Amino acid sequence: MSFFTRRQFFSLAGSLPFARLLTGRARASTQARVVVVGGGFGGAACAKYLRLADPNLEVSLVTPQRQFITCPFSNVALVGMRPLASLTHTYQQLREGYGVQIIHAQAQEIDPAAQRVILSDGTPLTYDKLVLSPGIELRWEAIEGYDAEASTVFPHAWQAGSQTLLLRRQLAAMEDGGLVVISAPETPYRCPPGPYERASLIAHYLKTHKPKSKVLLLDAKDSFTKDTLFLAAWKRLYPGLLEWVPGAQGGRVTQVETRAGIVRTEFDEYTPAVANIVAPQHAAAIARVDGLDAGTGWCPVHGSTFESRVHANIHVIGDAAIANPMPKSAFSANNQAKVCAAAIVALLRGEPIARPALMNTCYSLVAPDYGISISAVYSVENDAIQVVPGSSGTSPLDAPETTRTLEAAYARSWYANITADTFG
Amino acid sequence: MRLAPVLHHPQQLFVLLAGLLAAPALVSAAPIPTRGVAWAQACAACHGPDGRSQGTIPALDTLSPEDFRTAMRAFRTEERQGTVMNQIAKGLSEADIEAVTTYFAAIQSRRRQ
Repeated sequence: MSFFTRRQFFSLAGSLPFARLLTGRARASTQARVVVVGGGFGGAACAKYLRLADPNLEVSLVTPQRQFITCPFSNVALVGMRPLASLTHTYQQLREGYGVQIIHAQAQEIDPAAQRVILSDGTPLTYDKLVLSPGIELRWEAIEGYDAEASTVFPHAWQAGSQTLLLRRQLAAMEDGGLVVISAPETPYRCPPGPYERASLIAHYLKTHKPKSKVLLLDAKDSFTKDTLFLAAWKRLYPGLLEWVPGAQGGRVTQVETRAGIVRTEFDEYTPAVANIVAPQHAAAIARVDGLDAGTGWCPVHGSTFESRVHANIHVIGDAAIANPMPKSAFSANNQAKVCAAAIVALLRGEPIARPALMNTCYSLVAPDYGISISAVYSVENDAIQVVPGSSGTSPLDAPETTRTLEAAYARSWYANITADTFG
Repeated sequence: MRLAPVLHHPQQLFVLLAGLLAAPALVSAAPIPTRGVAWAQACAACHGPDGRSQGTIPALDTLSPEDFRTAMRAFRTEERQGTVMNQIAKGLSEADIEAVTTYFAAIQSRRRQ
């Protein structure tokens, strides 16, 4: 390009009705470059919907993974009811069907002033807009003794793949009568109902295969999402087999010693046969560089665009973003990806930002044919995300068996549809 | 003779059509409000891309616009009991429902052409 650099052009185009003057069209196509970091529900969907909204955009998706294994339904895989292969998705359709450039590399640094991402091999990628959707990382040592090495003995299984398989092998190898300890962290963390679905499905597995065993769910919190529904279902389905210990009753796990096989809370010490430590988390490293997380571990964003409140031209979506009251769910990430894609296209064209259509639905399985849900619709008022009054709720506590069966079927259908929407 | 690149690959044609849907001002026949596109994209997480659902969740691309609009209103007023749809429908205004109805109507009309 000769007179202007591409970035200078769009910087002008963003502040003036400049692109329209040059192109003579109200809805000008853009030839800007958007770099998306992260290949999960947020990143993959954002790359796809950017190309759908404007086929002239150059969209690069940066992810070290050749394929993506989803956390949704990994609790089902954990207890052998679904192969991990059925939760594995490739980027072939994004590349071939939608023209997204897939770069298998780790994004290492960001230079917000120069609008560049530096990959781990040193390659710089310039961008007009950057989307970060890198998910979470475990906060090692937030629980004393729990680090990457400890997770090879006491798996977290909070990023699906080898950790899921490790925990699965441990559960399969455990003798009947064993104790399974699961620790649940303080909020915020990825997938708020996840630890409770996991405890449920492990209890179901033990009830079926190793009925003398027990699940102890040690929680840092005193309440959790859909708790009345989970607690009522556990009382009926898994009496004596699944026990929840809230934080106020000493549920917070404070220390682990993997060599001795010990899990400690403030008051007690356990030596379980299997320990699953869902440790505290923060946004993945690339979303915490250059002050993007404002020192909190998660990234503050503007509600209508998901643009960082710290750096212009960088958008953060999915688990890494602070989007309260939206939960850190796959649904939220997929939904925010579309809102973000539309906002980026509007910003590049110098058009007004549309009101975002924000919503979330989370299904959880308490047993293979027993599903419960929570959902809400959100609006953005004064740049903050809020629940639309009346739009938030869960499955009824007194719903008939047919509703639970139907919601379990909906959960499976949701999985097929959201993965088709994201990767297909 | 070389064909235009877009015709080489049916998926690219789909991308073009979908891109047109996403940019309503370029569609002359049935203008789709931007709000309709935004809601339809949100619906896709459960109901599949453009409402083409796999499995038990109802498909939206085969519902008539009248049935779609009636169902959304009935969920909103609780005349019809759903699972998550009573909550979701309460999050949409009458104008939102009309906008997303227009989107799915446009998909059906394009399929017939």
